[in-house]
Amino acid sequence: MANQTPTFFIMTFVLVIHVIVALTGVWWAPYDPFAMLSGKPFDPPSWAHWFGTDNLGRDVFSRVVYGERFVLFPALMASGLAAVLGSAIGIILAYKRSWADLMGMRVVDLILCLPSLIVILIVLSVLGSNTVVMILVIAFFFTWIVVQTVRSAALSVVTEDFVTKATLRGESAWSVAFREILPNVASTVFVEFTLRTGYAVFFMGALSFLGYAAKPPTPEWGLMINEGRAVISAAPWMVLGPALALASLVVALGLFTEGLSETLGLTSQRQRAK
Amino acid sequence: MRFALRLILPRIVLAALTLAAISVIIFTLVELLPGDAATRVLGRNATAENVEVWRKRFNLDRPPVTRYLLWARDFARGDWGVSLVSAQVASAGNPGGKTMRPVADLVLPRLKNTLILTLYVMAISIPASLFLGIVTAVFRERRFATWLSGLVLFGVSMPDYVIGVLMLLVFTVSLGWFPALALIDQATSVAEMVHMLTMPAVTLAIAVTGVSVRMMQGSLLQVLDSDYVRFATLKGLSKTRTLLVHALPNALGPAIRVTVLSLVWLIGGVVYVEVIFTFPGLGMLLLNSLKLLDTPVILAGTMLLSAFLILANLAADILAAVLNPKLRKQ
Repeated sequence: MANQTPTFFIMTFVLVIHVIVALTGVWWAPYDPFAMLSGKPFDPPSWAHWFGTDNLGRDVFSRVVYGERFVLFPALMASGLAAVLGSAIGIILAYKRSWADLMGMRVVDLILCLPSLIVILIVLSVLGSNTVVMILVIAFFFTWIVVQTVRSAALSVVTEDFVTKATLRGESAWSVAFREILPNVASTVFVEFTLRTGYAVFFMGALSFLGYAAKPPTPEWGLMINEGRAVISAAPWMVLGPALALASLVVALGLFTEGLSETLGLTSQRQRAK
Repeated sequence: MRFALRLILPRIVLAALTLAAISVIIFTLVELLPGDAATRVLGRNATAENVEVWRKRFNLDRPPVTRYLLWARDFARGDWGVSLVSAQVASAGNPGGKTMRPVADLVLPRLKNTLILTLYVMAISIPASLFLGIVTAVFRERRFATWLSGLVLFGVSMPDYVIGVLMLLVFTVSLGWFPALALIDQATSVAEMVHMLTMPAVTLAIAVTGVSVRMMQGSLLQVLDSDYVRFATLKGLSKTRTLLVHALPNALGPAIRVTVLSLVWLIGGVVYVEVIFTFPGLGMLLLNSLKLLDTPVILAGTMLLSAFLILANLAADILAAVLNPKLRKQ
């Protein structure tokens, strides 16, 4: 960590603040985020209402603070699930290197060719748009991207002597995969995890912005941006609060991942769902 | 020629197979949407006999596999069916007065608009990413290049819908330079169109440029560190000559590939941007059709997007193979 840039530390700091807000925000948010007429409707930012009030007189700052958990936790769940499933599949494919590997890579290519946003919207229309479905669908798409990255990292490990030795020693495939290979691709998995978290925040915000996922009056940032869009010239602060919160979280995650992968000697693979 | 065929043919076959597989996935998903086409057209209080007529019309009396095959055949022939929403109007009351709208009539003008927007985005992003990629790679030791790289990274990380909303806030609400709506139609003149499309195009260009600059920079840095560039420098060639004659041509292959792939990035972003600026493109049409469950439109639009993605990937693959000097010599 010695040769890290100041940017990395600033971004780490921003991330820590986001996590603290997500964990403790409900206890110290100045107003009830659902209470109408905490102030006058469309009140511009002031000492009483830092981010102003919205069309129903709700305090935008309290809504942004409350909203953090609706944004951060589902994103972490989706990326965590994708990281676990993706690295398990990736390692197995790299270790087995048989027809399963060929098939697996074809599946990856196929899924990466789907226009994921539209497909996710169709799936949400079929299964009903709730948080659990959203997490699972996003995790599904991200899993295959993780598979691709982890598999290629694991491929350079499986040819190492210690893996051969472990195999010759009679260790089971399971044990070789998770005791010999996994520790050596752990940094790749972790970088993938933080990177996917950023994209998950981005994607879930997008889904709420388009009117899927979160439903009013949830103080979800993407939804708040969409609600504020209609009255943007009358009350730009309604959009500004959640937009800056969302941007700072996604940018901080992106730059944090960048610094992290440089420290760990990895070149980050930026691949986004389309 | 034979070499080119051996290189390209398998990729085309693979792309066609991929499209076929994707069409199965998309068809299945759309079939799972609540309700079926006949009830969607007729609504709740339809007579059984009426429903039977429409079920026949949409092949709902046949098994799903047959339905898929019939749809795929018609789709490939260019017959994309009729919009259910227009059929709703036609079935209610006066069947003679209103005619049903073919899906192609709905989708193609929207596709044209989206393509216009895409071209505008590329007109901004290609020169910008070439310039930024070269500058940040060549002057990598200078402070301003570090700042530029940082800025680029910032652009990549920002969600496109946040960029769009912030642009709207600054350039429409505060400065009033550009209109909030990008509602173009046939009557819009070119000058008006440029004026209306500038904000959506710049929004998308920021996201796309960020990605391509980073890849461009990477490939140029690799070339600049290679032995032949070092040799050219040691031979005493000027910096400009080394860059233009020796380094750039070798970095161009990856750059073109990157440019084509950045089209793929556009597909996601274009939906949000169309919503933010109320642009009558394919993304908006798809969103609306999904809300109305107008399945033939959803199918056609999603298939077009997938075909576009696959074609972009195919083009990038073929270009990379053709432009790679090592492969060419074989």
